[in-house]
Amino acid sequence: MNDMRHAKSLIFIGSNPPEAHPVSMQHILHAKEKNNAPIIVVDPRRTKLAAKADEYVRIRPGTDAAFMLGLINVIVAKGWEDKEFIRTRVSGYEEMLEVAKKYTPEEVEDITGIPAEQTYKVAEMLAKNRPTSLTWCMGGTQHTIGSSITRTFCILQLVLGNMGKSGGGTNIFRGHDNVQGATDMCILSHSLPAYYGLSDGAWKHWCRVWDVDYDWMVGRFKSKEWMNKKGFTLSRWFDGVLEGEDKIHNGGTSVKALIQWGCGSNSNSRFHDVKKAYNKLDLLVVVDPFPTSAAALCETDNVYILPAASQYETQGSVSSSSRQIQWRYKVVEPVYDSKDDYDIMKEFVTRLGFADQYYKNIKQVPEDITRELGSGSLTIGYNGQTPERIKKHMENWHTFDIDTLQAKGGACDGEYYGMPWPCWTEEHPGTPILYDISKPVNEGGLPFRNRFGDVATYAMSGRVENQLAAKGTCNPRSVVQGGYSEFKEVVPGTNWKTDLSQKTIKEALSKGMAPFGNARARCIVWTFPDQIPIHREPLHSPRPDIVERYPTYKDKADHYRVDTRYESEQAKNNDIVKNFPYTLTTGRQVEHMGAGAETRSNKYLCELQPEMYAEINPKLANDLGIRDGGMVTVESPEGGKIKCKALVTERVDETTIFLPYHFAGSWEGESYADQYPEGNEPWAVGDSGNVITNYGYDIITQIQATKDGLCKISKA
Amino acid sequence: MGRVKFLCDVERCIDCGGCVVACKEGHHIPVGVNRRRVVTLDSGKETEKSISVACMHCADAPCIAVCPVNCIYERADGVVLVDKKACIGCGYCFMACPFGAPQFPKGAVFGARGAMDKCTFCAGGPEENFSKEEKSLYGQNRIAEGKVPLCSGMCATKALLAGDADVVADVYRERVFQRGSGANAWGWNRAYKKKS
Repeated sequence: MNDMRHAKSLIFIGSNPPEAHPVSMQHILHAKEKNNAPIIVVDPRRTKLAAKADEYVRIRPGTDAAFMLGLINVIVAKGWEDKEFIRTRVSGYEEMLEVAKKYTPEEVEDITGIPAEQTYKVAEMLAKNRPTSLTWCMGGTQHTIGSSITRTFCILQLVLGNMGKSGGGTNIFRGHDNVQGATDMCILSHSLPAYYGLSDGAWKHWCRVWDVDYDWMVGRFKSKEWMNKKGFTLSRWFDGVLEGEDKIHNGGTSVKALIQWGCGSNSNSRFHDVKKAYNKLDLLVVVDPFPTSAAALCETDNVYILPAASQYETQGSVSSSSRQIQWRYKVVEPVYDSKDDYDIMKEFVTRLGFADQYYKNIKQVPEDITRELGSGSLTIGYNGQTPERIKKHMENWHTFDIDTLQAKGGACDGEYYGMPWPCWTEEHPGTPILYDISKPVNEGGLPFRNRFGDVATYAMSGRVENQLAAKGTCNPRSVVQGGYSEFKEVVPGTNWKTDLSQKTIKEALSKGMAPFGNARARCIVWTFPDQIPIHREPLHSPRPDIVERYPTYKDKADHYRVDTRYESEQAKNNDIVKNFPYTLTTGRQVEHMGAGAETRSNKYLCELQPEMYAEINPKLANDLGIRDGGMVTVESPEGGKIKCKALVTERVDETTIFLPYHFAGSWEGESYADQYPEGNEPWAVGDSGNVITNYGYDIITQIQATKDGLCKISKA
Repeated sequence: MGRVKFLCDVERCIDCGGCVVACKEGHHIPVGVNRRRVVTLDSGKETEKSISVACMHCADAPCIAVCPVNCIYERADGVVLVDKKACIGCGYCFMACPFGAPQFPKGAVFGARGAMDKCTFCAGGPEENFSKEEKSLYGQNRIAEGKVPLCSGMCATKALLAGDADVVADVYRERVFQRGSGANAWGWNRAYKKKS
């Protein structure tokens, strides 16, 4: 993140750091002040970041991909693309450009609402102020085409040649503390830790790491095929409860029990359906420092609340957005009856009867946990950051340079703070900037990864292209002067990802080469429905005329165990938009965090932000007879309904309603604070914005589409 | 040394409220009493600006001039403090203050007013340093510990500067210099509607 201080321009799209990531603003403003870097903010709302921006671009929610492709189109038409970077390090460029050419600034204006002149202006600002740092957050991802939108962000940076450069890159700010660590450990249903996937090879790899017999692991499953099948996602678990066992793909049973561990329930979209699911569960366990809205909303007696200790009452390693690993020390022992997560997990595992398998390598908690997960997470180079090295960095904070994050002298001389992964060996300094070929691999440099074969034939053009980097393009001191494949068979039967002896990794480094090869960044992903990202309208769109030109996907069966509607849902749009004409988008407040269980339990934060509200433009408010501070009803096409105050503001345009998503504790205006355990009711209660967020899930990741739904609003 | 002063760099203030919450948490201030506030003008408009405001610890403080019981005083370092035990809660200081700094707790023995409370620059009060009484009446005494006030210590963007006015001025001057000058200066396009 500190590297953003080197940016010559910054573009934020679907990201609002003054509210969501305030500390990052010191680096962002530093770039603005010191480099005179223009800040460009692309957002449906004129946010607090827009107040600091040189250029504010108001975009219709869900149309980010169209804008990005429009920028690429203009940049290439003007000859501003980085031709050498594209020639040596990018693949599928010609095919991508054919697609981008369809997105003229005029077409982009029609789709996004951004004036054509502004697309030209932003393209010129980016081209003439390189490198650009591009940041996105949930405003970029939480759409049915989120996985395409994020790819267009990356492709824009490839076209501008901003990838792998100091001050450039895509700097995606994560939503919570240690989310990067949680992602790296794959607290997700489609992969084992460190992005190994769910193949037999992946299971065998991790069983070796855990020192667990593979056949024993197979025996834990209903049958072996379930080991390779993706599970439910957080965004749809409740459909696994509600839809019925014959409608889902879950081995003939509905979801019957749920453990929510440090997870705020009201961050789920379609929250009125979530509430129904809580009531239908046989068992709900909430593990949290605060009783969440889940505990209060569930009307049955099948709820157990386990008080978890806060981060100050435990210790261990955490990973930041910048892939840096830090050690967090315990300040006090867990208070009252609370236990830290390690102890709660131990109680579970012991009672469930497999503690003997679970703790084979773990004697010292949590150091041995960091050690074990590092030794197996070779894909992302988590192996060099031993607990001892992490702690050494914490003790030598003062020796690291604020601009480069590199230690000058002292105990950590030459290392980068937190050893950003990949940190290939215990001598490696960490990789501060991904894919930077200006530095040797041993000193933190890195080429693009060779992950998808050496050669590819494209379906749309029939063209065959070598996926390895061009001749002469490599990190300094690389033995192979140009692209090369990933390292394998150094130890027979293994590759760099599965060789636990780490001989393969060391062999690569000894040659000044990256264990994962030196390839090109792809513009074409042949396993995705949109091999080249394109715009597709949200399922519920305020522009039915555009839906005809940019329709959504075909329905997808068994998408993380549930069927997911795309075209069949969008088919209802013409009717929906008549009654629900306003675009709905959601976001954060700086005072509250996530679902707000923690922050709404702090009286000072609640004093600053005490009430749920809906932002509405003055013109729309006047047309609908809504006054600032008056009560309104907001309704979703799925039957969700909330009551809250109106905040009349020009932050939103005349067709958009904005809801913060942190509130809970009341339902259709009626408080259910008395349902919290006595003495634990939050200071601030309000209707949950996610009651209104619409149906809609990303085609690849199944992330919920909370940013581009429809709603109606009226005076309550 | 010079007087102690606050300086809020409005180009850096992002209206996060970190200063407000740090002050309240650190001094255990009741809800409803705001020693510090962030004021935002033109919220949601192109001209939106935010500034963090507390007692400015004036050199010729109007509150001192109007106090009928002489309970407000100035320390040698320029910190303006109130002796809560002498204060009658009349509110004259509130009327005289150009910044709305004096605060009055609700529902105390003096009815709506009660003893005046305001920013202490984290310097406690007239009682003995680090005494229990000082802490319960005024909160922490960080100045006696050699620390900067909580609000500026918390500020994520270093917008809020606090300390010896000479040092604060040096920090700010360096920052302004870093922002460039002439046609390259930050804010030039706002002033002249164009960019070089």
